[in-house]
Amino acid sequence: MPIKWVLHWQPHAGTSVNSQILNEVSQCVESINGVKEGRWKATLTFYKPMLRDQSLAGEFPRDFLGISVPEQPNKYYFVIRAQRIVMEADSSIQNIMEKLQSYKMRVALNFEGFQYQLGDFQLRVGKVVPTHSENLRGIVMEVEYLPISSIEKSRQIMEEFLQIWQEALSKRSLPGQFMHMEPNFTEYGLPEPYTSQHTAVQYATVMAQLIASVQSGQAVRN
Amino acid sequence: MECIVQGIIETQHVEALEILLQGLCGVHRERLRIHEICLKNSPNLGNVASEIRLLCDLEQTEPMWTVKHVGGAMRGAGAEQISVLVRTTVESKVSKNVLRLFYALGYKLDHELLRVGFAFHFLRGAQITVTVSSINKMLKLHATDEAVPVTPGIQVVEVTAPATSENYTEVAAAMSSFCEYLAPYLVIQLLWISERLDWLLHLSKPGVSTGVVATAAAAAASLMSDGGGTTL
Repeated sequence: MPIKWVLHWQPHAGTSVNSQILNEVSQCVESINGVKEGRWKATLTFYKPMLRDQSLAGEFPRDFLGISVPEQPNKYYFVIRAQRIVMEADSSIQNIMEKLQSYKMRVALNFEGFQYQLGDFQLRVGKVVPTHSENLRGIVMEVEYLPISSIEKSRQIMEEFLQIWQEALSKRSLPGQFMHMEPNFTEYGLPEPYTSQHTAVQYATVMAQLIASVQSGQAVRN
Repeated sequence: MECIVQGIIETQHVEALEILLQGLCGVHRERLRIHEICLKNSPNLGNVASEIRLLCDLEQTEPMWTVKHVGGAMRGAGAEQISVLVRTTVESKVSKNVLRLFYALGYKLDHELLRVGFAFHFLRGAQITVTVSSINKMLKLHATDEAVPVTPGIQVVEVTAPATSENYTEVAAAMSSFCEYLAPYLVIQLLWISERLDWLLHLSKPGVSTGVVATAAAAAASLMSDGGGTTL
């Protein structure tokens, strides 16, 4: 599948995300001739262990994530970042997890927004919100380059595109910027070419960044 | 949900059964080589004791993994009127690091086995699968190349068909009528066999001979005692 970079909005110190920034970003995509194509949505669910003795919580993963991505509606992905594990499964795995009664959903977040076509690039801009809520927790952006599925071969063109994009966005003087933190896919046992498992790992990485930036924002305010 | 019937057959009769199945099904057999790993939750994890099976199809060029959860068997008046066992099952095809994931989640290895044999898949009133396989245990952890039979001289026959809560009576009827053809060749039971195999394998740890029975007669006895075997 085509290479994709998932980016997250990193607010400047002392600022936070708001829907005005999201609007500006969307307008910016349209200003560089991005053609709006429709909506997209991914869902990230944090699971927590159901324990009889809470004092043993340290023995179980704290960052167990279940992810559904729009390009693979019949698949579901599990990621445990701390142990660099990613697993792809048929979506029926969610049913199995329910039956096992060993982990339950702690919180679920949606990445949702609009998709744009820009030549050979596909862009998705979206907000990060808890399911059943409009409480904005972050902004994400996906850049997909349709002709290439090799991570290494696409690196130069992706970097060049991002440079142009950051320049276009900088004219709006927004209080932050999009960051690309590429996970070490090899640690997850993910070789070339790019697959949806790579996307799941990127989502998990972005989620960790968002949590870290919310926590550091709180620390600044305190 | 699936309907299932299990039976055992002496290895000397397997060839005859295969010829019969070939004739009945009109399809060619497929080779079967499945590494099955049974995991259980660690004592502190979860509200209930839970068990999950990881199946690795070793016949494929690239081994294919499936997670299978087997729920409780249907009980009550409805269940008593049919001669097959109906149980809930959920399967999900997964990528190869499934074992690592479940270990990380706090699941522990209970036992593992290797099924070697053949399978027939065909449509006969229901989408029926018949597997005939010897059950082997590994002498070393995951060493499928060094597996030895748990019940020498005896193979396990499973007849299964997917079903739903709407159609299970029809599926069960189709399966029962098919199983009548097999009855002369094997002792058919409901589900005691897999439970007994699980128990034998649970007792058997790598490097220990417990759990491997020496003769066909002993194997049959270990699988059948108290099982309430019924010939259909």
